[in-house]
Parts: sequence; structure tokens; C-alpha cells
Amino acid sequence: MNHVQIVLFPAFDPLDVIAPFEVLAAACDEAQSDTMIELVCEGEPRSFVGGTRGLALTATATLDPTKPGYVIVPGVSGPVDGDPDAGDETIPVLLARVAASNLMPLIRQSLDNPDIVVATQCGGGLILGMAGLLDGRTAVTHTLGNDVLEATGVTVVRARVVDDGDLVSSGGVTSGLDLGLHLAGREFGPNVAYSVERLFEYERRGTAWHTERSSTTTIGPHREA
Amino acid sequence: MSITGNWNVRMKTPIGSINAVFTFVEADGSLTGSAESGGAVAPMRDLATIPQADGTTTVTWSQSVTKPMRLNLDFEITVTGDTLSGFSRAGRLPRASVEGSRT
Repeated sequence: MNHVQIVLFPAFDPLDVIAPFEVLAAACDEAQSDTMIELVCEGEPRSFVGGTRGLALTATATLDPTKPGYVIVPGVSGPVDGDPDAGDETIPVLLARVAASNLMPLIRQSLDNPDIVVATQCGGGLILGMAGLLDGRTAVTHTLGNDVLEATGVTVVRARVVDDGDLVSSGGVTSGLDLGLHLAGREFGPNVAYSVERLFEYERRGTAWHTERSSTTTIGPHREA
Repeated sequence: MSITGNWNVRMKTPIGSINAVFTFVEADGSLTGSAESGGAVAPMRDLATIPQADGTTTVTWSQSVTKPMRLNLDFEITVTGDTLSGFSRAGRLPRASVEGSRT
């Protein structure tokens, strides 16, 4: 059985979690797949307070980098402007905190696992970049973070979704819908993704960029040749 | 104005100011350098010194750091006596100030 593990941590952006969650849940229903979709975390399963007005979500399992499928890393929400030296917990500060946490060794193991595709949404891509996990990879993050992402050694493609094989990243906030639809297409094929588009009354927008065109037609987790 | 020796440096990053120690060593006429911050040591690449007419020295180099976050940085600082000041730049980001003094 495949697994979709969506990771929670303090100050997560709610939409980054919910958009791919709902899209992939609908895709699994449409495909009659027994894929398990759960919210996970590092350590004991527990609740996390998101970065938007205290909205909390509960992780029901521990992130397991041995389960085949997808690991999705959201971004954070918080103030864009501010002086970190004055104690302002700006978005870069919040992202860097996750990048320095015990979650990162598990994400590294997930990236190293050929049966797992790691997907990032919004600032999630920058978290992995800050942690040094994306050196030499091709990816995207929120438009406000792409210059920083580039400075972490990433080749940035300013697309809506960037498919780099076992790493799929997406742009800011609402692109979580496109990330979910892209992964649904990879996993279950275009008909399922299209069916979810109709159900959600949302059509994919922007560019979905692929390192290898072959990855567009891969069914199931992509494996590097 | 020689840059050789150890320098306590404070520099701005996207996630706040950090302290670092720069070390420059001259051996057999060639200059090497490294920077330590948060327990991680990063060597300097493409280190170059440019003597200025006013007696100060401009020093430039590149380095890849992992603490407090992974960043590729380009430095340009000027040494005046026992102080240095200048900036670092991470890719297309605006340049960030670097200030230091000899230990």
C-alpha cells in the first residue's frame, strides 16, 4: 500500500497542508485506491499550532521514511517583514527553525529512499534548501523565497510545479492545489486528476516543469534510472 | 594593510545577525582563509586582496556555509587597521553588512 505523509511542524501554513490533502484524498476516492493519507510529524504524534491565527491540526502518526509513496513538506505562515535581531519571528526565521530541527534527518532519509517522492509546497522547498538537502537540485518555492532558495545551491525554475523526479516542488500558497493534482496525475493518471479538477471546480494553472518528460507519464512513485 | 590573523565578525543573514570568526593565513606568499560559525568551518574560495591607494586593503572571496543555513556567499570587505567592514551577498539577495575586529 502506498502512503501519503504530510508533515506538520510549528507555524505550518494551513492551506499548504489542506490543499494537497483534500486533492489527494479525492483522487484516491476517484481511483478507488487504498492509499493511506495522514498527517505526520517527527516524534510522538501530537497537535501543532499553525502560523495563521492559531489554527491547529493533529498529526496521527510519526513520519516514517521507509513507507513507500509521498512525503509532503508544507511551508510556514507568519510575518514577511520584521527584524530577526529584534526578535521578530519572520517567515525566514520560522523556516530556518524547521530546517534545523530533528525532522530534517527523516526528510533526508525520505529523499534517499527510491520508493519515496518528496514533495514540497510553498516555503517547504526553502526549508529543505536551508537544510542543505537540495544542493544541485532543481526546484521552486514561494515567489518571495526563490532568490534565497537559489543561494542555497538550488537551480530555481520559477514555475507553478517543478517535477525533478523524486523531488516535486511547488510555488506559493494556492499552488498546493496544483501540487496535489500533479501528484494525482503521476500516481493515478490524467483521468483521475481531471476528474478531481471538475469536482473541485478548479483547473490547474501556470507551468508544470519537468526535468525529464518521462516523469509526466510515470504511474506510481518515480524511480530514478 | 594585512588581513592575516583572526577576526571576530558580525554579519547579517536573512534569519538575523550571526557571529563568525574569520581566519586568514599567509604561507609561502599565498593567502588562505576560513570562516567558523555555529561549529561549522567553511573554507574561502577565490580569495583575492586588492591594495587601495588610501592604504586600506579590499579582500574578496566566496564561500559555502551550512550554519545557520546552507548559503553560497560572496564577500567584499575592506581592512582598515584592526577593523574590517563590508558586505556579503547571497546570490541575487540584497547585500548584507559585515563588520569585524581583530581578536
